[in-house]
Amino acid sequence: MLKKIFDWLMQPLGLIAVGIVFLSVFSVAVYGLSATQQTPEQPIQFPHKTHIGFGIQCLYCHPGAAKGPAAGIPSQAKCWACHNQIEKTQTSVLLAPLKEAVLSGNSIQWVPVAIVPDFVQFNHRPHIAAGKNCEDCHGDMSQVNIAENPQVLNMGFCLNCHIETAGEDEEKLIKLTDCGTCHY
Amino acid sequence: MTTLSDLKISEVKLEGEHVGKWGMVIDQDICTGCQACVAACSMENNIPFVGEEDSGYGRAMHWIRIERFWEGEYPEVKMTNQQPMMCQQCGSAPCEPVCPAFATVHSQAEQLNLQVYNRCVGTRYCANNCPYQVRTFNWRDYQRPEPLPNQFNPDVTVRRRGVMEKCTFCIQRIHKAQDKAKSEGREVADGEFTTACAQACPSNAITFGRIDKEDTLVYQMMHHGQSHGKKHLEELGTLPSITYMNGGGA
Repeated sequence: MLKKIFDWLMQPLGLIAVGIVFLSVFSVAVYGLSATQQTPEQPIQFPHKTHIGFGIQCLYCHPGAAKGPAAGIPSQAKCWACHNQIEKTQTSVLLAPLKEAVLSGNSIQWVPVAIVPDFVQFNHRPHIAAGKNCEDCHGDMSQVNIAENPQVLNMGFCLNCHIETAGEDEEKLIKLTDCGTCHY
Repeated sequence: MTTLSDLKISEVKLEGEHVGKWGMVIDQDICTGCQACVAACSMENNIPFVGEEDSGYGRAMHWIRIERFWEGEYPEVKMTNQQPMMCQQCGSAPCEPVCPAFATVHSQAEQLNLQVYNRCVGTRYCANNCPYQVRTFNWRDYQRPEPLPNQFNPDVTVRRRGVMEKCTFCIQRIHKAQDKAKSEGREVADGEFTTACAQACPSNAITFGRIDKEDTLVYQMMHHGQSHGKKHLEELGTLPSITYMNGGGA
């Protein structure tokens, strides 16, 4: 039985069939992998580039980063403080969801981009306090429109930096490479 | 009574004086067994409610439980003191060496027994090797009906099916206090924060703090004169961090 199948596969038609199956599985896998690397669809096509170009600091819209665990996403009230003075806000199609959100009072459903799994407890504050800049992990936002991850935020990425930061300090190294520092 | 040094157990490590970092003193004389600590712990640490059926299979999940004992035969039954039991955060923990995935490891920084949920593969060896029987296993993804998910503690991982869990000495509170102290450029003060069980205890039977510093309340209680404190199953060489005080009028 097995030999029969093998013989059929070894003839030209069989080889083509094997090739087609392999190619289709491979392309689905490539598509699946690339889908995980896409930046998510956002309710507003927010251009970070433009806002940073105006000289707005990261911490103006994400003040939580300096104080606590979450950097935070600004509410539409914060957007509106500037945008209600801008003529274009009234007419722009791209900004219509913002206008709608302010008038109706419903919050804008932003999709978080830089996320860690539930079993990782990340705190922004100590990282800012240790002199890290936003772009060290989030990339240069002055070059992108919709936020995207410049690198995979995985444990290797975190640990490399932790070990580098600790340097020769033994006590610091123990603290920064302890499982319980991030996982609990 | 057999002491630690009488035992010829090769596994028992006696590397000088074990100190530990965080510790607890539980005064059994004033514990009323009201279970407030059990409820507070469940709320703080996102512990699921397993329901009646699974509870019947012995799969109830609690990181702290109140053990009750009695002496004599019915009807002449005399209740002894209630005994809150949770992870003793052993200095030489039996759960640690048996984990094949290194999911339960000893924290060098905090001197606690950690449970790393994302590493755990659910062999349950650790629970079988724990002499205090304080580890609980997620047999299912237990459902939380609305609006219960709204009270999740965001600082604690919501565990999924197939992982082991146990008392962490509220490590999220330790980290929070340390983070706050560091942002203000000082050390964590004694009594600045406490665990959920100690906070909820109406009779203050549970005291939590540093046991490696002499000026803390926990240290004073542990070393006060002829202390009545004792540690559970100390003869196994587990070097527990929790001291139980019993029958001394504090």
